[in-house]
Amino acid sequence: MDTQPIIQVESILAVLVFLVPLAFALVIFLFGRISRVLREGAAFVGIFFTFLISVLIAQRILQGEVLTFWGMNFYVDGLSALMEILGSFVGVIVILYSLSYVVHHPRLGNLPERRLRMYYGLILLFLSMMNLTCATNSIIMLFVSLEATTLATAFLVTFYWNRDSLEAGYKYLLLVTVGVTFALLGLVLLYSASIPYLPRSRVLLLTELGRIASKIPGNIVLLSSALIIAGFGTKAGLVPFHAWLPDAHAEAPIPVSALLSGIVIKVGAYALARTITIFSPSFPAVVLFVAVLCSVSMLVGMMMALVQDDIKRMLAYSSISQIAYVVEGLGLGTYLGVYGGLFHLMNHTILKALLFLTAGALMWATGMRKISELAAQRRRMPITAFCFFVGALGISGVPPFNGFLSKFTLFLALAEQGLLWAAVIAVITGFLSIACFGRAAYQIFWTTPPEANEAKVGVVILEVPPTMWTGMIILAGVSILLGLYPQLVHPALDRATNIILRLLLGP
Amino acid sequence: MAWVTGDVIITLVVAHLLASVAAAEVRNLKLSNGFLCVQSLLLSAIIASFAVISQNPTLYWWAGTTVLSKAILLPWILYHYMRRLPQVEVKPLVGFAASLIFLLIFLTAFYRFVHTYVEFIAPTTEALVEPARSNLAIAFAIFALGLYVVMARRDAVKIIIGLILLENGVHLSLVTLAPTMPETTVFGITSNVIVAAYLLLYLTEQIYQQFGTMDTMQLSSLKR
Repeated sequence: MDTQPIIQVESILAVLVFLVPLAFALVIFLFGRISRVLREGAAFVGIFFTFLISVLIAQRILQGEVLTFWGMNFYVDGLSALMEILGSFVGVIVILYSLSYVVHHPRLGNLPERRLRMYYGLILLFLSMMNLTCATNSIIMLFVSLEATTLATAFLVTFYWNRDSLEAGYKYLLLVTVGVTFALLGLVLLYSASIPYLPRSRVLLLTELGRIASKIPGNIVLLSSALIIAGFGTKAGLVPFHAWLPDAHAEAPIPVSALLSGIVIKVGAYALARTITIFSPSFPAVVLFVAVLCSVSMLVGMMMALVQDDIKRMLAYSSISQIAYVVEGLGLGTYLGVYGGLFHLMNHTILKALLFLTAGALMWATGMRKISELAAQRRRMPITAFCFFVGALGISGVPPFNGFLSKFTLFLALAEQGLLWAAVIAVITGFLSIACFGRAAYQIFWTTPPEANEAKVGVVILEVPPTMWTGMIILAGVSILLGLYPQLVHPALDRATNIILRLLLGP
Repeated sequence: MAWVTGDVIITLVVAHLLASVAAAEVRNLKLSNGFLCVQSLLLSAIIASFAVISQNPTLYWWAGTTVLSKAILLPWILYHYMRRLPQVEVKPLVGFAASLIFLLIFLTAFYRFVHTYVEFIAPTTEALVEPARSNLAIAFAIFALGLYVVMARRDAVKIIIGLILLENGVHLSLVTLAPTMPETTVFGITSNVIVAAYLLLYLTEQIYQQFGTMDTMQLSSLKR
C-alpha cells in the first residue's frame, strides 16, 4: 500500500461534474425543439465537457489530491473519479451511436421531435444524477440521487412506447424503487445508530462511516447490511432481485441498453462499495452473505444466458453474472478484492457497452434479434464481427484480454480470504461464459447460411455507418489495450483501492 | 400545548395504522386514495405531536412539508389519473375477507414482535420508551403492509398505493430514528417518491389506453 498523503482540496470541479450535464439537459428540454444543434449537438457537447471535467478530476486525484466542495458535503476520490470517467466515456460513445441508431433508424421512420428531445435530455439528466451519486458525501443523499438515476432512466426504457417496452418500464421503475426503499430503511438504521457520534452538522458523511463503524452495535450492522444489500442489490441486478433487469435491457433501445448495463447497474455496485465494504473487515458474516448472494447470481445469470436465443436477453443475463463478480470483489474489503472488483467494473463497462453496441449494429442492419435468425443471414460486416469477437473473448475471460486479468485477480482474492468454494464457482461461471459467448459468436458469424435462404434473402447486408462503428472500434481498442498493457490503469485503480481501504481502516 | 401526551400520540399512531389498512384494502380506488390522504394527515399530526413533546422545531417543518406533499400533492396526482382509469381495482388474488383477516393477524404479530425487540433496531434510549417504541413498531408494520400490497395485488394503481405506503412507513420511522436529520434530505426522499408515483401513474395510463388493462398479471408477455 502506498503511503502518499491525501491532500484535501476545495475545488469547484467536484460539483461541476454534475452541474454541467444538468445545465445541458435543461437546454435540451427547453430549446431542443428549435433545431438539431440544440438537441443532438448540445447533448454531444455537454457529455464531452463532462468527460473533460472527469479527466481533469482524475488528473488531480492521481497527484494525490481529494476534491471536496461545500465543506465535506461533496467529496470526490479515486472511486468517484473512476465512475465519472467511465460514465461520461460510455456516454460520449452512446450519444454518437444514437445519431444513426435512433435518429436515422431504417425501420423506425421519423420519430416525433418531442421523443428525441426527451431521449437526449434524459441521458444527460441521468449522467448528471449519476455523477451526483458519486460526488455526494451524505449517506441519505446517496440514496436520493441513486433513486433519481432510476427515475431518469425509466422513460429511456419505454422509448419505443409499445406494449413490451411500457411493461418493462413499469416493472423496472416499480421493482427498483421498492428495492431501493429497503436500502433507505437500512441507511436510516445506520444513521440513527451513529447519531451519538455525529458532529453538530447532523449529517452522516460516508467518509465518517469508517470511523464510526466500530462503535455501531453488531446486530444493527447486520440488519442494516442485509437491507442495504437487498436494496442496492436490486439496483445492481443481483439474483433474486433481478426480475426487472432482463426485460428492461431487452426492451430499451440498444444505446440505452448499453448505458443500463454499462453504467446504471454499476451505480448500485458503487453504493454497495461505499456502504457495505466498510463493514467487511470487522464482520465476516457480511462478507459471507455477499459471497453467497454473488455466487448464486453469477451461476444463475450465466445459466439463464446460455439458454437465451434473443441476443439482447443473453447479454442482459450475462450482465447479472458479471456484476456479481464486481460486487463480490468489493464486498471482500481486502486490497486484492477491491482492486479486482474495480478492475472488473471498468472492464465490464467497456466490454458490455461494446457487446450491446455490436448487437445493435446487427439488429440495425438486419432487423432481427434472434441468434438463430441472425445465423441465417448473408452479411458483409467485418468491423461488427471483429468487435463482437473482442467483446466475447474479453467478457468470457480468455487471456490475454482484459476480462481475464480482472477475473483472475478476483479468483486470487477469494482464495486469499479462504472462500475456496466461491472461487471454484467463479471459475466454473467463467467456463460457462466461454461456452455461452462462443456459441453465440459461432452461430452468428461462422455458420454459412443454407442455400435456400441465400436465394430468398438475395441481398448481402452491408456494414453500419461510421457514426456507429467509430464508437465500437474505440471500445474494442480500449479493451485490447487494457488487456495488453494493464499497467496503464494500475495507478488509478491502486489509488481508488487505497482510498477505500483507508476509509475503512482509518488513516 | 400540554394536552399533547404520549397517549395522544399512541392513539394517532393506531389510527394511522387503521387508515393504512383501509387504504390498502378498500376496493374502490378513489376511496382508497381518500384513506391515503387521511393517512398522510395523521402522519403529519404524529410528526407535529413529536415536535411538541421533544421540543424539536425541525419536526414542525417536516409536518408542514408532509401536509403539502403527501396529503395534498400526492392524492391530487392520484385523483388526476384515477378519473381516466377504472374506478374499481382489478380483483386481487386473495379475497377481501381473507386478506383482511390475514392482515389483522399478521400485522398484530409483526407489531408485537418489533415492539418486543426494539432494542435490536434502535440504539438510542429515546427510542426505547413510549410513545417512540410503539411508533417504531407501527412504522415497521406499515412498511410490511406496503410490501404486502405491492406483492399480492394485481391492479397497477393499487400497487402504486402500496409503494406509497411502504415509503410512508420509512417516513414514520424517521421521526423516531433520526429526528435530527436535516430537512433537505427529508425533502429529497419525499420528492423522490412523488416523482416515482407520478411516472408510474403516467405509464399505467399509457398501458391502459393502449391495451385496456391495468392487470399486472396480464402484463406477462415478457416473463420467460
